[in-house]
Amino acid sequence: MMIMKKQPIRFLASLMAILMVAIAPMSCDSQLDEPLERQVLVEDTDYTQSENMFQLLTGAYELLYALQWETFPVVSVRGDDVNAAGDQFPLSETDEFRYDRSFWMYNSSWLNFYDDIIKFHAAMEELLRYKEFAPNPSEADQYIAEIKVMRAFEMLQLTRLWGGVLIPTSSQTAELYTTPVSTREEVLQHISDQMDEALDFLPNVRPNQRSDVRGGISRYTALAVKALANLELKDFQKVADATGEIIGSGAFNLDADFYELFKIPGKLSNENLLELQYSDFGQSSGENEAYLHAFFGPNNWTPAVAGSSGGWGFWEPSMKFIKFMLDRGETVRLETSVLFTRQGIELIQSDPAYATLPAFVSNTTRDGDIIGRTDSEPNPRAIFSSGKHYLPSNQLTPGRTAYGTNKNFIVIRYAEVLLMHAEALVNGANSAAMTADQAVNEVRARAGMTALNGVTLDNVLDEKFAEFGMEWGIRFYDLVRYDRTSELNHDGRTYSADDRFIPYPLAQLDILPQLGNNN
Amino acid sequence: MKKTLRSYFKVLSVLLLCALAVEASAQTVVTGTVRSSDDGLPLPGVSILVKSTLKGTSTLADGTYRLEVPSGESILVFSFVGYTTQETQVGNRSQINVVMAPDISQLGEVVVIGYGTQEQKDLTSAIATVKSEDIVKTPTAQAMQSLQGKVPGVQIVSSGAPGAAPTVRIRGVGSLESNAAPLYVVDGMFFDSIDFLNTSDIETISILKDAAASAIYGVRASNGVVLITTKGGGYNQAPKVTYDGYYGVQVAQNVLKLSNAEQFTEYALATGSAADASFIQNAFQRFGRSRINPNVPDVNTDWYNEVLQTAPMQNHAISVNGGNETTRYSVGVSYFQQDGLLRDTRNEYERLNFRTKLDFDVSDRLSIGGNINISNATQYNAENAVWFKTYFAVPILPVYDDQNTAATPFGLSNAQTLGYRGSQNPFYDLLYDDNRNKIGKFLANFHFDYDIIPQKLSFRSAYNYSFSNINVRNVDFEYSDGVTDFQSSIRRSHATSYDQIWDNYLTYKENFGLHSLTAVVGYSYRSETNEGLFARGTELDPFPDRSMEELWYLALADGIDEGGVGDFGSRIFGASYFTRLAYNYDDRYLLYGTFRRDGNNKFQQKWGNFFTIGAGWVLSEEEFFSMPNVDFLKIRGGWGQLGNDGVTAAVGAPTIAPRFLAIDDQRVPGNVVIPTFDFVDRWETTEELNVGVTSRMFKERLSLEADYFVRDTENAAVTIILPLIRDNVRRSVAGIRNSGFEMALNWSDKIGSDWNYSIGGNFATLNNEVLSLGGPQYLDAGSAEFRQRSIVGQPLQAFFGYETDGIFQNQAEITNSGYTSEFINDAGIEPGDFRYKDQNGDGVIDDADRVVLGSYLPDLTYGLNLSVSYKNIDLSANFQGQQGHSILNRKRGEIIFTTDTNIDAELATNLWTGEGTSNRYPSAAGLRKGWNQSMSDYFVEDGSYFRVQNIRVSYNLTGKEILGTPMPDTRITFTAERPLTFFNYNGFTPEVANGIDRQTYPIPAVYTLGLNIKF
Repeated sequence: MMIMKKQPIRFLASLMAILMVAIAPMSCDSQLDEPLERQVLVEDTDYTQSENMFQLLTGAYELLYALQWETFPVVSVRGDDVNAAGDQFPLSETDEFRYDRSFWMYNSSWLNFYDDIIKFHAAMEELLRYKEFAPNPSEADQYIAEIKVMRAFEMLQLTRLWGGVLIPTSSQTAELYTTPVSTREEVLQHISDQMDEALDFLPNVRPNQRSDVRGGISRYTALAVKALANLELKDFQKVADATGEIIGSGAFNLDADFYELFKIPGKLSNENLLELQYSDFGQSSGENEAYLHAFFGPNNWTPAVAGSSGGWGFWEPSMKFIKFMLDRGETVRLETSVLFTRQGIELIQSDPAYATLPAFVSNTTRDGDIIGRTDSEPNPRAIFSSGKHYLPSNQLTPGRTAYGTNKNFIVIRYAEVLLMHAEALVNGANSAAMTADQAVNEVRARAGMTALNGVTLDNVLDEKFAEFGMEWGIRFYDLVRYDRTSELNHDGRTYSADDRFIPYPLAQLDILPQLGNNN
Repeated sequence: MKKTLRSYFKVLSVLLLCALAVEASAQTVVTGTVRSSDDGLPLPGVSILVKSTLKGTSTLADGTYRLEVPSGESILVFSFVGYTTQETQVGNRSQINVVMAPDISQLGEVVVIGYGTQEQKDLTSAIATVKSEDIVKTPTAQAMQSLQGKVPGVQIVSSGAPGAAPTVRIRGVGSLESNAAPLYVVDGMFFDSIDFLNTSDIETISILKDAAASAIYGVRASNGVVLITTKGGGYNQAPKVTYDGYYGVQVAQNVLKLSNAEQFTEYALATGSAADASFIQNAFQRFGRSRINPNVPDVNTDWYNEVLQTAPMQNHAISVNGGNETTRYSVGVSYFQQDGLLRDTRNEYERLNFRTKLDFDVSDRLSIGGNINISNATQYNAENAVWFKTYFAVPILPVYDDQNTAATPFGLSNAQTLGYRGSQNPFYDLLYDDNRNKIGKFLANFHFDYDIIPQKLSFRSAYNYSFSNINVRNVDFEYSDGVTDFQSSIRRSHATSYDQIWDNYLTYKENFGLHSLTAVVGYSYRSETNEGLFARGTELDPFPDRSMEELWYLALADGIDEGGVGDFGSRIFGASYFTRLAYNYDDRYLLYGTFRRDGNNKFQQKWGNFFTIGAGWVLSEEEFFSMPNVDFLKIRGGWGQLGNDGVTAAVGAPTIAPRFLAIDDQRVPGNVVIPTFDFVDRWETTEELNVGVTSRMFKERLSLEADYFVRDTENAAVTIILPLIRDNVRRSVAGIRNSGFEMALNWSDKIGSDWNYSIGGNFATLNNEVLSLGGPQYLDAGSAEFRQRSIVGQPLQAFFGYETDGIFQNQAEITNSGYTSEFINDAGIEPGDFRYKDQNGDGVIDDADRVVLGSYLPDLTYGLNLSVSYKNIDLSANFQGQQGHSILNRKRGEIIFTTDTNIDAELATNLWTGEGTSNRYPSAAGLRKGWNQSMSDYFVEDGSYFRVQNIRVSYNLTGKEILGTPMPDTRITFTAERPLTFFNYNGFTPEVANGIDRQTYPIPAVYTLGLNIKF
């Protein structure tokens, strides 16, 4: 107390100092809970808003439709129906069976498919959460089933390219570091099983009969994907069963006009089971959803509608395909599959056996577009272009100039279902739906070809070659399935047994060392 | 949290009790004079303290003092900077005269550490201190620049642009974000850079190199801590007015030689490119043929010569320091100005600084002080593209071209008129761009110190406030290059930040017997707020030009660029509890520890604990110690934890991306779930182990400091690639190790009474290594063409590509190269092409043959310093260098993207032109082939250099008279900064911060004449 009296001010000062030290922390620490400025927090989804489920479904379709330009060529370039033209080194090397795991296109294609697949999982996981609160849970089941079909289709492309691949099971990719590689057979079986799971939840209609997503996925799409997977597995009875059900439904028919099937009139045709949809919405400018068709277009042309753009000239039907078609006396299928340049026609004719050609072999198309250079100069890239990916300039919405704007991209059509059916039957499968002869002849009739009797596997594969040139590598996968790979040694190419699968992309090998040499 | 508070109170209550135990007693008076043993002159300003009390005084201008002491038992402590401290017991004396001897050892020197000071001899950690007199030797706007080559383990990468701060790395790179810059603490305030301070404002710079020293700064300390103490006054010091200034010129050094018109023409024709040959033809037609060599166009532009100038630099500082028995003050004003090396454009830096520091003792127990530092700078940045274009502009193009009449407002030439792809002429960027930054900084500090128990327990509260404002205005003028019209534009941005730190801490000192203890406990609060706006407008009306700067406003722009308008802001809070304990037993055993508990609102991880522990053993104090000539020997070691909160926080969650698609020709919305997201919820943490030796030998003439450290960073934020998905995400997963050995040796002595000299050297090694990347074995950086890769076990972001093995001289060499004939054929290899090493021997050069080619971090940095003084003349010289760092010569690499440009003379004259002509460079045609453009060690060059850093001669005039009146102490100084640099790299400068030399500002030599007058 003595001290206090002597030095009261000092004591108070000391006390204050100490109090300051003690109190300051308590008042300041609460600020640590202050939110960060300008950070929009992701609000929790309200899963009772069932109507939002539909946008998750359309979002999945958007992923499916947003097919990057390099993916389709990587899937399809190796067949004897098509050559890589242009200056894309990775593509022309792949066409000649010289693979390099550093090719950017391999990694990009891998990611294009898998990125979709992981996001499909994310969408399906969200839909499951909605399902709990949905007044009509079967709606969620149907949407999930549709996404399963999309996922299966992309898995099928992956295993076609790489053989053994990883099967993701959720949107969380961390577990994949330790996921073992599934063999090609396991992946194909998985696809088939997934389709079995999906079938019962899908609408029993032709895609263009759907009202909510017109042209979307139906039960028949799932059956077709199941057939494709089992065809790769050579489980022919399953192929026959799945295709037989599609045929037996009577829902589909071949489009009478093969030429227009691949153009605007063929959009959402009764023939299509799976189709990537694009549109310029009939507007001369503004919003436009489009596939990059310029890849396929001739890089020199004189369009009937002046100002319409050409393309890159990267996708060139092979001379082998053209001569095969001429030999068969094909008409509308050849005309629809190939755009000829003057230089290309001269090259065909330089072979005395083809000195005279049918009139439709012309550098002017039915719609009046003149393909390639008209002077005597050589065409810088392709001398033929893919007619399957051609949109005549007179079908462009006025005001639109980009090649192929407003054109859809057909993925699976009824002709393939018929010919898969035939293929299964000639391999010994049974079906009540249709005979092999009937199936093949239905396709031939539309093409203006005479009927065959007692079709063999050779007949079926030739028919597929003629019908599906330039489409989805169908020809290549047919040839390797039956080990008829000597067909691939055309125009100086040499295919060897280990060329069936392309190498895993280096970038993926680095993250997923278990890929090793599994393909 | 609660626990910490409780223990906090416990400590406080103990201390509070101690505060009450104060008593008073009888007094006697002592007087005397203090002189220097050097010259016998009186020493003013010597501090005299009654030991173990706060009582004390200082000597007056005549060296005398008067002091009341409690009793004859009292011990007086005489101390003065630069002199050995003396203690004497008063006894029954009333007059005590003292002669003080200069202290050539620095062991007793006080070192600034976090929240206090410590004597050099008591340190257990690696702290380097650089003082004012060494800092001002370097003519620069940037104080940190003056440390180059002086402190082992601190790498300074100079920057030549006016006002640009150098890159500072303390013990390597442990973070991939925010430049891994150290924390700067200026009188208690935290900064990311001290570019606003004038070198003459700084008293000392302390670099806390190891974790034991810096851990008290917790979550901010991971990249090292630099403590800056600004200048202050002294007790009982007569007002001292000092002028310190210099004027000098900057001269670009090692200017790169580019091909002249003749070399270029020869090269262009040798490429075999028809296009390039036609451009030469066009030049003949437009500009005629040279009369000396008719095969060369009659233009020979040395573009570097056209754009470079010698540029002045000056600094003037006036300060007044002083104090009486209760007050110390220091007031200063300084002006720095630097022009850039580019002519015909605004390229300069100007800065005006004011500072005031005031401390006064309210009573013998309470002192209050404050300081204010105001810095105002204007910086004009030249368009960086100038450096790029100057390198590439073809020499057959003149600066001005009368025939290019469509070019307005000036008739500049345009390479497009000759057929080249771009206009090439760098004068478009010089003349038609103006980029101004106005930077204002205001730093204030207020503090009070209160002795709760004199000499034992004191309390300090310090509040620091910093306000800064950066105002950017970039204007592009309207012009035509004769081919294309460019519209004018203006972009303005305004960013302000307000930061505050409030520190409160208690310091307790106790001596009992041979034990002595210092304890600090405190709390620190921090808030950082910044916000800003930016906007861009196009097509100013009237057209902007340099004569009408007053009309450069957004309001006069015809269009406002919608995407170019925006704002930003952030508010970060931090709270920290910290404590420090230092224990010393008999000056033999030292123990040291700090703990900091840091909280913030930036990360999900709110709180973190940072410990450190250090120990020292002074062997030389042991009785058994008998090493001859060793006066002092200490072994020390420390371990500690540090954090780096400089990484950008990101706490993601799956997001929904809205998309649109077409269904049946209808536009339909869709939602895509993006399941991946960035997740950086924590700071980066570092653990460091440091062991070191401190020794003084040969009567303290030789000093030695040596340290070995291992510094491991965990949770470093990196961008990782997830399997099977395209989106890359940031995660706190990487581990990085920096380790190295540092040593500094100094010898100083005098010969007779006139000669003083000292010689010293230091070096530091650094080994930077990626320890882990959270799964993947590597992460790519850089561009696809110039790959950099962080590989586990290799340095961060190492250059990665093929190793060359000479040039193929003939077809036989190609055939016998070991490459498969298929590969040779496919790749189209010809004589004159690089031979790449087939690392895996598979006969094919592909991705598997790529190897690490080098790192941008040096393995070795070193410095040497010499100083000699004889009577009034002082001479000092500093040298420094680096070894083992690589530079990517991106200028040579640019040929991948643009072929029709000039190349450097070294390359042009040494290209392969036939068998045996070159084993280093490919043929002219080969330069343009993809094969030779692959990332290889051709592009990655050795950046090692040795530099004469600073030569300085000064002449001192003291005690002289002019016309009978005494002349003030004056020093005249000549300085040559960076006069010579030796290196092999084919570029302007071997100092490139990130190792990628694309458009680096050259680093000039500076020659100055300086004057220092003390009134």
